[in-house]
This record gives sequence, structure tokens and C-alpha cells, in this order.
Amino acid sequence: MTFYEKELNKLRNIVYSNQEQVNTVIGIRNYIETNYEVNLNLDALSHIQLVSKYHLLRLFKKYYGLTPRQYLIDTRIEKSKKHLIDGMSVTETCLAVGFESLGSFSTLFKTKIGKSPSEFQKEQLSRSKIDLKFRT
Amino acid sequence: MKVTLISIPVRDQEKALKFYTEKLGFIKKKDQPLGGGNRWLTVVSAEWQDGPELLLEPGPNHFEPCKVYQDALMEAGYPYTQFDVNDVDAEHERLTKLGVEFSVKPTIMGTVKFAVFNDTCGNNIQIVETL
Repeated sequence: MTFYEKELNKLRNIVYSNQEQVNTVIGIRNYIETNYEVNLNLDALSHIQLVSKYHLLRLFKKYYGLTPRQYLIDTRIEKSKKHLIDGMSVTETCLAVGFESLGSFSTLFKTKIGKSPSEFQKEQLSRSKIDLKFRT
Repeated sequence: MKVTLISIPVRDQEKALKFYTEKLGFIKKKDQPLGGGNRWLTVVSAEWQDGPELLLEPGPNHFEPCKVYQDALMEAGYPYTQFDVNDVDAEHERLTKLGVEFSVKPTIMGTVKFAVFNDTCGNNIQIVETL
């Protein structure tokens, strides 16, 4: 066993000793991954894992370093990039990934990605055209 | 300020370019001669070509402490850096078939699964999947 593996084992005992908690947060993350497009909130998530919402909030942050809400937003933005690249309109994309307001989607997208959804889409589409041109 | 570059020390840039493109699947982005056979050589992730560039830097050949540090990490089994993957088991199987050697096979640790391989350029590299 390398020095690195020994150090990891120490860390495992400190950070991941409570398997029940680990299973709970993994369950929540998987739920967010597969249900990001519906109206998810802390109440719904805590109901699924039968834990109090504040406990859930603390646990999720402890193991993933983000709150469930931040994680949900990141997931939605990542998925929205795929839709935009596939040519879906900005409004359709916004609704498809679970945002209710176009304004908040555009603002979050711009903060996270550095450009608006329509700028991002334009750039991606022109790039794929250039790729096509160079390949043929 | 933006993070756009991550440097990885390599002993042989040409060999590193081959490994990082042919085995790991990265794409060459920049290749600029710097004299003395050295190059400003970067690769990017195929699925995220706008993402940070990985600079394959020949530091260990020019700066002894870089070599000492790299050797010490290698000997202790420490990864120099890590890359995210969707499926550690699938990547482990794919890379093993290509002859890549793993010092840590896919292992679950709490909310992550990871594995460590040798990049043949002087570094251990970790791949990680969030569970």
C-alpha cells in the first residue's frame, strides 16, 4: 500500500465513517440528478429520505460542499448547455430544465457560464458549422 | 481573473502528447516552439474544448526541484492532479485495455469513486466520479 493510500484510509475514517449519512446524501444527489426538471425544494427532498430539512441541508453541504439548491442549479445549468447545443430555443430550454422564469435562468446562466444563453448558443452553433466546413 | 490553464510536469513532451491524446482522449490545442526543442504544448478535454487547457510542461528537465517533487509524489503514490469522469469503472476498463497501469483500482470512498493510474511521463493521475 502506498503512502497516499494510507493517508486516504485515515481520511476515510475521519470523513466517511457514518455510512448511513453517506447513503442518505447519495440518495438525495441521485434524486436531484434524475428529477432536476421538476419543482424540487428542500421539503420534497427531506420527505424522500425521511430526514428533517435542516438536517438534510447540513448533511448535503458536509459531503458535497454545496447546498442542495446550489447543486440543483448547477445541474440544471449543465443540462441546459446540452439543450442549447442541440438547438433548442432559450425559452424551451429554460422550462425543460425546471426553471420557471426566463429572467432568473438567463441571469444564473450568465453568472455561471460567463455569457447569456443566446450568446452561448450562437457561439456553439457557429463553431459546429466551422467544424463541419473544415471536415468536408 | 479566470482559471484557464493547469500545468502538468512531463519528462518527454512528445511522449506525453501521445499518451494524453491517444490513450486519455484529449485534443491538442496549442503547440508553439519555444527553442531548445521545448514547446508550449496544451491539450483540452474532447467533451469540454472551452474548458481549461492542460499544459504539458517539461519542467523536470530544466528545474531540478520540479523533478525532485515529481519523483517524491510518484514514489508516495500521490496523484499530481485529477480529472472528472462519468464512470470510473468504464474508464478503468477502457484504459487497462490500452495498456495503462493503475496503482489504485476503482475504489469507493464515501461520496466518490476514484482510481489512480500512471501517465508514463512521471505522474500519477487520479480519475474521480461523484456518487
